[in-house]
Amino acid sequence: MSSTRTSRAQRTQAAQRAAEIRRRAEVKEQRRHNGLVTGAVLTVLALLVGLGYAIQSSRDTTGQVADVPAGVEGTYGVPLGDAKAPVTVTIYEDFLCPFCGDLEAALASWLPEYVEDGTVRVVYQPLAFLDRYSQGTDYSTRTVSAYGAVLDVAGPDIASRFHDLLFENQPAENTPGLSDDELVSLAVRAGADEDLIRPLIEGRVFEQWSDNGRDAASKERVTSTPTVEVNGERLPPMAIDQLVARIRTSVEAVATP
Amino acid sequence: MSWLALVARATLGGVWVAAGLLKLPDPTENVRAVRAYQLLPEALVPVIGHGLPVLELVVGVCLLMGLVVRPMALLSGVMLVAFIVGISAAWARGLSIECGCFGGGGGPSVGASDKYPWELARDAGLLLASGLLVVRPRTPFALDDRLFPALEPAAER
Repeated sequence: MSSTRTSRAQRTQAAQRAAEIRRRAEVKEQRRHNGLVTGAVLTVLALLVGLGYAIQSSRDTTGQVADVPAGVEGTYGVPLGDAKAPVTVTIYEDFLCPFCGDLEAALASWLPEYVEDGTVRVVYQPLAFLDRYSQGTDYSTRTVSAYGAVLDVAGPDIASRFHDLLFENQPAENTPGLSDDELVSLAVRAGADEDLIRPLIEGRVFEQWSDNGRDAASKERVTSTPTVEVNGERLPPMAIDQLVARIRTSVEAVATP
Repeated sequence: MSWLALVARATLGGVWVAAGLLKLPDPTENVRAVRAYQLLPEALVPVIGHGLPVLELVVGVCLLMGLVVRPMALLSGVMLVAFIVGISAAWARGLSIECGCFGGGGGPSVGASDKYPWELARDAGLLLASGLLVVRPRTPFALDDRLFPALEPAAER
């Protein structure tokens, strides 16, 4: 009797041990399987990320060779006034940026005199920063490209007039802005020949120049518009009326009374 | 607890998908946004600008589907730590830049330093959610349940 009972208990124990060993083996096998599946999934995901990265890189044309408008200062500047003027004012601006419009309006009443008498040279650095605020028409890029085109075919004086007309007719952000036709008619009003300028504006011939200029400015750490430099010294961000006062003080310090 | 983790997974996934999708249309803008932080060497700037949005989208979609949740939550946490470091560094150095978190960035920014605290708080919250999912990757309605039947259901849940 007792020996039978013992052996039955032993048998149960042995069976339990066997089940435990089997269960451990199953868990181990399951772990191995999970590791393999995780590895496979992660590999596929890594390939997807690599593919997406390649697509994004190929869509970024920054730095590709661009046609540069004739008459630029440096590579991306549009100059106005005497090259030997004692004061150079550099203005980074976007034709859609409202503060740039305020700045231009405030400068218009006094700066042109100093440009005419040879005290000041202005270098406009047009930047297409605000493309996402023109309902998909890329107003900033279109105007920068058109500005380059007017400089290219008609020279700095007519380009400057076109620049002023663009700010006088500045559209609000989050509107489509002026159409290409309207840009052409402003260019013609500024003095450009319509037959020459129309294909350049409609073809956005200087779009790549605009893209490269924006990237170059970002490398110069220009992160907002308007950004102003007087004789190469960058002014810190400040309210527009203060900015205008700073520029005026610098100019009047040099101007002969 | 598993339901809290599910909420964390859905929120985190949605945020990553939105962040990735909003950045995809303009790769040059992403590059400028990364550059504006003035933290990385120029050679790395385009790599991050082009790669990050794709990575965000993949992490987001995987989290929403519940696919390999633990590794994705880990990646999510690593990215968020990097963002927190980046924004804090910009704030500390007095840079006035757009976050660029959901597209944009590299361009004009008004009142940037007023936005930094809220951006940091948001990222800290998302980091917490990522941490929760690293510790408890098992949630209801996840693809992982199909791929990886629980070893010890009672212990895992």
